[in-house]
Amino acid sequence: MSRTVEPLINDEYTGGPPTKRVLARLQEKRKEGRKVAGVYCGYAPTELILAMGISPATLCAFSNATIEAAETVLPANLCPLIKSSYGFIITDTCPFYGLADVVIGETTCDGKKKMFELITDLKPTWIMDLPQVPDQEEAITNWTAMIRKLEGFLETTFGARTTDDGIEDSIRDINRRNAMMREVFEFAALRPAIVGWREMYDLTFLAQGSSGKDMEPVLTEALRKLEERRDGGYSYGPAGAPRVMVTGCPVGGDAEKVFAIIEEAGGVIVALDACSGFKPYMTDTAEGTGDPVRALAERYLKIPCSCMTPNARRLTEMTRLIEKMRPDAVIDVVLQACHSFNIESHKVGEHVEKVHGLPFLKIVTDFSLGDVEQIRTRVEALLESC
Amino acid sequence: MRTAGLDIGSRTVKLVVIEQGETVLTRKGLTSHDPLEAARALMEGVNYDTIVATGYGRHLLKEHLDCPVISEIKAFALGAKAIYPTCRVILDIGGQDTKAISLNEAGEMSKFEMNDKCAAGTGRFLEIMAAALGYTLEEFPKAALSAGRFEKINSMCTVFAESEVISLTAKGAARPEVALGIHRAIVSRSTTLLKRIAPSGEVFFAGGVALNGCVETLIAEDLGRPVFVPPDPQMVGALGAALHALKSGGREDATP
Repeated sequence: MSRTVEPLINDEYTGGPPTKRVLARLQEKRKEGRKVAGVYCGYAPTELILAMGISPATLCAFSNATIEAAETVLPANLCPLIKSSYGFIITDTCPFYGLADVVIGETTCDGKKKMFELITDLKPTWIMDLPQVPDQEEAITNWTAMIRKLEGFLETTFGARTTDDGIEDSIRDINRRNAMMREVFEFAALRPAIVGWREMYDLTFLAQGSSGKDMEPVLTEALRKLEERRDGGYSYGPAGAPRVMVTGCPVGGDAEKVFAIIEEAGGVIVALDACSGFKPYMTDTAEGTGDPVRALAERYLKIPCSCMTPNARRLTEMTRLIEKMRPDAVIDVVLQACHSFNIESHKVGEHVEKVHGLPFLKIVTDFSLGDVEQIRTRVEALLESC
Repeated sequence: MRTAGLDIGSRTVKLVVIEQGETVLTRKGLTSHDPLEAARALMEGVNYDTIVATGYGRHLLKEHLDCPVISEIKAFALGAKAIYPTCRVILDIGGQDTKAISLNEAGEMSKFEMNDKCAAGTGRFLEIMAAALGYTLEEFPKAALSAGRFEKINSMCTVFAESEVISLTAKGAARPEVALGIHRAIVSRSTTLLKRIAPSGEVFFAGGVALNGCVETLIAEDLGRPVFVPPDPQMVGALGAALHALKSGGREDATP
């Protein structure tokens, strides 16, 4: 039976957007005199940034409200995430950008790359050239060099310093954080579900730029509550609800409409397989290699983003997650004009249907509410087939 | 037991009542700006034990009648299976969307594809293009079929395609040839969806656009596969909903 239980994170921000909690934490760091680096993507090497005493801040990218302003400059037929990010900057409405001393970007896609060119004169902005054929030896060498160059940029800009030992410590700290996050996901795998997407998202969002040390008390408490829920026979969502795994582009803010529709249609979301969800926590960096930056390069190039080619790891990681979370259906969320996720969806769909025998649905959407009913029809039909 | 299915589509509302496996009543009306009123008008004086709603307005009806709802994809799968039990491929072109559905050996929905969120290449598209060429909906397919060649329409966006039609007629293109071009455009879009989900097999063609003989002919030609249009293609979804009502057997929450 469902009943009210204490939220996994129980503070004044519970129930609201997770951004406010992260902002409050960053403002504290700022007061302590720490520098802030704005980041857009999971390829920004958190371990290095933290090792240099700088706090990473994920910049705003998920609101429909800033798109109109962005379209005065950017083409309308562009990924909403890029338009929203740019709109936040030119309307000066992203508090994280306001706090950031520098911005770190990566050449993940053409749209972002060219958008970054339009913001470089506003704040010191460092672009990392991301190799996109990740299994070649040169890719590791080049990405190692890019991480070293980022270190150099942060040194010159802030006078910040770290050592390989410092980076190694940071790697161990983030590995610890990721391991605890994976313990949370183990609870999310339980059947019936004992945790909903909102609480998982609160945790994945908060952990993104946080050190293991900062996350430890939060995660220890969350894990204790999850144990209590499990032992107390609590279940989340309607009895027998189809379990849904959501994969694809990052989802947050106004794109959360898809999550809401899935729950309204009677489903329960058991896995968030995107950079905004579980992805950043699924792999660890090798410890004690003697070359921590190279170890970082190897770990980051394992992120199965659709910008990589071939991206076979997306399918093997997905299989791992499906076997663990045991969903009844998989939904691939593609943001409008994100060509790489859109094309890759074909392979993902075949994999889900043929290898796992699960129903699959691709949804192409943006941050507006105009397509809610069309998405609802598709999601309801998918869940009816479970 | 007498069960009813109500399909509130973007352009028309359809009601089917079944008893002992036989359809005993069918009614149809325009959705208008007030779908709830349109549904009420349709249901006036109709007796049934339980009702299930489908179509875009299904949740509106759920709120007001407290009746169960199913998606139109499931409704079309159920309705088509009842009319033509061995058919495994369904194409439904309605007022604002196109759905291709494939069924498994047991006749259950296994896969579906829908057009993007805009009404390109749907019934509404045909209505607007017919009007742009000055044809009624009855004349439009006949004129298209009478053409020996066609003018290619490149845009599938209703607004852009209308501009294209106007440019073509301004250049003196023959109306039937433009009409055929429009039909070809909508057909190639639908067959792409079909090829994606069901590369072979006879196609069960339903929805308002199935009343258009030219679309039917061109789909069969384009796919090289037989196309079956049921006697009342607009009623398939409502029939499916009525069948679902029968199957779920007057559940407690189905209080009309």
